Formats: sequence, structure tokens, C-alpha cells
Amino acid sequence: MANYHPTPEMLTDFSAGNLQLGHALCVSAHVEHCDECKTNLQRLNSIATNLFDGLEPASLPDTLKNAVFSKLDDEHIEEPVREKTVSSHIPRALQQFISESYETLSWKKVSSMIQQAHLSTDVSGSKISLMRIQAGGKVPMHTHSGEEYTLLLEGSFSDESGLYNVGDFLVRDERHKHRPVVTKDRECICLTVTDAPVTLTGFFTRWFNPLLRRGHFSH
Amino acid sequence: MVKTNSSLNKERNIRLKGLMASVSEQRDKQAFGELFNHFAPLLRSYSLAREPGSTLLADELAQEVLIKVWNKAHTYKPELAAVSTWVFTLARNSRIDHLRRSGRFSTDIDPTALFESIEDDGPDPFQMAQRQRVEERVHNGLKQLPIEQSQILAKVYLEGKSHQEAANELELPLGTVKSRVRLALQKLELFLKR
Repeated sequence: MANYHPTPEMLTDFSAGNLQLGHALCVSAHVEHCDECKTNLQRLNSIATNLFDGLEPASLPDTLKNAVFSKLDDEHIEEPVREKTVSSHIPRALQQFISESYETLSWKKVSSMIQQAHLSTDVSGSKISLMRIQAGGKVPMHTHSGEEYTLLLEGSFSDESGLYNVGDFLVRDERHKHRPVVTKDRECICLTVTDAPVTLTGFFTRWFNPLLRRGHFSH
Repeated sequence: MVKTNSSLNKERNIRLKGLMASVSEQRDKQAFGELFNHFAPLLRSYSLAREPGSTLLADELAQEVLIKVWNKAHTYKPELAAVSTWVFTLARNSRIDHLRRSGRFSTDIDPTALFESIEDDGPDPFQMAQRQRVEERVHNGLKQLPIEQSQILAKVYLEGKSHQEAANELELPLGTVKSRVRLALQKLELFLKR
């Protein structure tokens, strides 16, 4: 069970369809395995429904009904009722990028401890990727310009504020300086969505910045 | 006996579910026509709330969603949600897809996958039993919210503004907008207690 969840405002923006899709992807992958957020989301949808029902009905152009009815007889392939696939441990929202396993992605080495696989770049410039950090691995002290969304997919890590496990959902911004350390028992895989390049603040890791920046824009 | 607003609401929901069943099981066009009459004006209005003046876009959204109602009727699960909820989610997804096609959202993320994967599942039986009660509470509670709270919910859900955009438009600090939403959610006793 996850201990860290998207905030109520984030779930609200998600259910209204207002989140940029990278953030929505993170929220969706969290909610799929979080019964609590799933229930909250369904309840938020009932707010949406009530507001929608209460709209002042707009007048219709005369042609609209005919236009719709003329398309009803078009041949269409009946969409199958989607069955829940239980076979994969990969969140369904991510299955559009990852077919079978995390292994098949093209991982690029960021440091001796860290690998990164790029999934997508949003029009806003935010970058969606998976990070894979070795057991016991330390991520250099860093801050964020803009926000970084993280969803823990496998393993666990800790930083100054706590210990995080599978399913935990975190948002970090420029106010946080943090230094995640992966637990020693197993590697850790995270989904991350970064608004802007991460800035490393550690004295010895400052050299690291140009590499990461290059990574950020190279896709 | 005077009918209460919420019992009228309940009756309407039952009627809409009946129409959906006729469409799904008998491909009944007359029933579909009634669904059209109910939803087309709302859908058009929903689109106009975000893009005032874009009547062509509004027609397009209404048309697209209603054709989906016809084509996907068999995927609607009456035990999980009111017809209006299902139609709202179709409209919202259609809106997102339009934003994607027009280049305002990322183009290589499939938005329907994000929502279908979590909205198709039913909650557990305990939550199901509570669902009706929560829906009534929301229905009655929304009307009693202070205007400054309901105004923001309308901006978020109907006009498609993020909290940040709503804050900019109302010239309020983001924190104020967020706390109004939280207060509204608290008043509706919407969230499970952690």
C-alpha cells in the first residue's frame, strides 16, 4: 500500500482532464494500484457529473441531430469490452510505452549507479522517463527547477524526509534539496516527469549537470 | 406529495439507464434520440464553457461524443456509474483528445489509456454500497457551497482551467484557490479519511 499520494488538487485536476499528460500519466499509474485514490477519483467524477448536469443547455443547430443519426449505421468494429490484464505488473497507463518488461527498454547510463530510459517528451518540454538505480545506489544531492513527479515502480528508497516504497507518489520542486538513497536489498525503478533539467547542487557532482542537461534535450 | 430535488434526480437517472439499456441491447434509435435530446445541449454547452464562441468545435464535440455513446453503449456499466458520469468522461476525453490534436498537449501519450485503465474498474463492494449515498451528498451539497468555492469547481471542471489558471484569472494567489477547493471537498465529505 502506498503512503504518499497525489494531493486532492492534483486528483481534481486529473479528473477534470486539466493535467498535462505527463503528469496525468504519473497520477494514473499511481491510482491504478491505490484503492483509496481510485475511490476518491470516482467521487470527484460525481462532482463533475453534477456540474455537467447543471449546465445551461445550449441551443442546437437543426442539422446536428441528422448529422449524428446519419452516422449511426456506419460500419464500425465493435470495441471489445476491455478486460483487466492481470498478467503484467507494469501499470496499464505505461503499457503504451513498455510492452513486456522494463528490461526491453533502451537504458542509457547516467552514472555508475543510475540508468535512464526515455519514454516521451511533452509539448511543454517536460520529460517523461524511467530511472533505474542500483541497490544501495545514491543519487547525487539535487534540487529541481520546476517540478519533478516521481512514482516508485519497484524497490524502495529514502531521503531526508522519509522512506518510500512501491506505489508512492512524490512531487519535488525547487524548495527541496534532496539526496535519495536506494535500499540495499534491491534495485529501484521510478517513473519520473521533470519540468526542467534537474540541477545538481553537490560540490563534487556539479560537473554532472552538463551531462544531464544534454540528456534532457537530446530526445 | 412534493417531490424533492434529489428524488427527481434519481428518477431521471433511472430513466437514462433504461434508455441506455435499449440502445445497447436492441440498438433502439428512438431511445438514442431521447439520449441525444438530453445530452447534446449539455455537451455543446460543456464545449462552449471552455472555448466560448467556438460553435463549430462545440458541434463537433457533441457529435463525436454521441456517436461514441451509440458505438460504445455495450461498454457502459450501469452498476458502476450514472449515465451522466459516463457521458461526462467521454466528453472530457474528447476534449483532451482535441487539445492533443491541436498541439496543446503532448502528442505521443494516448489519453484514453490513462483514464480507462482506472475508471473501468469497480470499487470494492463496501465502496459500492456507499456510492449512492456519496452521490446524493454531492448532489445536495454542491448547491450549498459558498459561491467562491463552487465558482472554482466550475472553472476547473467545466472551463477546463487548472488551479493555476483559475488563480490567474481570478487574480487570487494559488494557495487561496487550492484551499477553496480543499474546503469544498471537506464540506462535501468527499475524500476517504487517511
